[in-house]
Amino acid sequence: MSRRRTAGRAIRGTAAAIAFVLILVPIVIVVVAAFSPKDYFDFPPSGLSWRWFVEFFRLENMRGAFALSVELALAAATLATVLGTLGALFLVRRRGPLATLLQALFLAPLVFPTIVLGVALLLLYKTVGMPVFPGLLLAHCVIGMPYGFRTVLASAQALDPALEEAGQSLGAGPLATLLLLTLPLVWPGVLSGWLFAFIVSFGELNAALFLTGPGVTTLPIEIFSYLQFQGSQLVIAAASTLQIALIIGLVALIERLVGIGRIIRAR
Amino acid sequence: MKTRWALVLAAPPLAIALAFFVVPVAYLFWVSLHQPSQSELYGAALTLGNYAGILGDSFYLEITRRTLGVAAAILALCLLVGYPVAYFVALLPARRRMLVTLLLLFPLMVSNVVRAYGWIALLARRGVINAGLEGLGVIAAPLELLYTTPAVVVGLMTILLPYMVISIANTLAALDRRYEEAAQALGAGPLRTFLHVTLPLSMPGVASGTLLVLLLTLSAYVTITLLGGPRSKLLVSMIYDGVTAFQWPHAAALSFILLALALVLTGVILGVLRPARVQGTGR
Repeated sequence: MSRRRTAGRAIRGTAAAIAFVLILVPIVIVVVAAFSPKDYFDFPPSGLSWRWFVEFFRLENMRGAFALSVELALAAATLATVLGTLGALFLVRRRGPLATLLQALFLAPLVFPTIVLGVALLLLYKTVGMPVFPGLLLAHCVIGMPYGFRTVLASAQALDPALEEAGQSLGAGPLATLLLLTLPLVWPGVLSGWLFAFIVSFGELNAALFLTGPGVTTLPIEIFSYLQFQGSQLVIAAASTLQIALIIGLVALIERLVGIGRIIRAR
Repeated sequence: MKTRWALVLAAPPLAIALAFFVVPVAYLFWVSLHQPSQSELYGAALTLGNYAGILGDSFYLEITRRTLGVAAAILALCLLVGYPVAYFVALLPARRRMLVTLLLLFPLMVSNVVRAYGWIALLARRGVINAGLEGLGVIAAPLELLYTTPAVVVGLMTILLPYMVISIANTLAALDRRYEEAAQALGAGPLRTFLHVTLPLSMPGVASGTLLVLLLTLSAYVTITLLGGPRSKLLVSMIYDGVTAFQWPHAAALSFILLALALVLTGVILGVLRPARVQGTGR
């Protein structure tokens, strides 16, 4: 019996080791390749250099894609979080079929194949003549909305309704109660939703694939078209490393502001 | 006053969800029911011909079969590797579990195109694996690892594995250990306890992980294109090709075939795993 228990532990440990190697090695390889001093990637690396990062910022299309991705993710995450928060605060104390339907609608983009959403939005934008950036922004807003909605709904549901009643009995109107009482209390949920919406937008491929245009491209799509049409030059590794670095920086910032444990639990 | 105030909250998200999610998808469906047109986005006449054309074409049946095969292989591998890993994570003490969960979440934050690029660097003709094997003298000429269906399966499986692990680990960690203790006190060995108590109780996590991995597999165009190349195209690649060829009604019909496939597979998975049996029975 104890032999079986040891066997179980060995299987779990081995599987975990294999899984972490398979998940993390491709990411580590990219970061190592980005610091390669040569024109091609050799493993193990023969030295360290910043030349591919210099090259990245020299290429106008790369620089532009990076800036556009940051702007897009900031705007889309903010808009998505505001909308998701509004939806969550509306639904938090409501029951009934209409509330269930609305909740399903606000969460649906989470499981809806984004490639189909991308095709559908491109078709709509072609018909109504939507410019590229607002089109991308609204697409990423729809994709990011469920994150803020879900985290704020979870935070708000955990609140004691007596708090809001106390606020109102002390003379606060609905707007004052919302801004001074409810919002500060659900703030970790808001921040967590914003973080996830930002990260999703910053790496998003399926909708951006259809909705980017000439000169208006996001970093992931720029990396994709380089890989597809110009082979794997190492400037791509530098671009990828910057993608990773920005996310690590953002997560570290949030950790300092509110603590990452609260963010993960707020999911 | 109270309802009017509340409607101000609901109106903006509802408007965006309707205008940029419900309406475009409905419009796409409407277009899928029209004849193709040379000059317009779609023709005037209503038809089911786009669907009939795809469903009656052996080429698309082969693509669909390949899509199902790749999805099944990815799901099987994710479950086989993911379940023991989730068990490993769930048994860790709370603080270490948090760190390991963070380590699993981090790759999900990195764009899939970057993670696919990592696999290209490993699998390419002059990639790390071929260079390593040649250096060791195991092989004389580089192996063709990239642009194959197994490359798609392995790459996509590792990209999506954290979703499976986190879903199952969350369920396992929340599981009441007294059920397992009760089974063992009644004389069941570790294997029997696992098969008859732990595994059935973890089905909600297995179901949500399986559904996430499946749905993300079906629309993973970029990963499939980069690792599979032109010979390993799946349904989602056909949608993209249809759009770039401006065959709008055709691409629209393919989109709804993909959606229908996702819906049917979701039904099958929920029917087989029956997570609702466990949920709501208190834990």
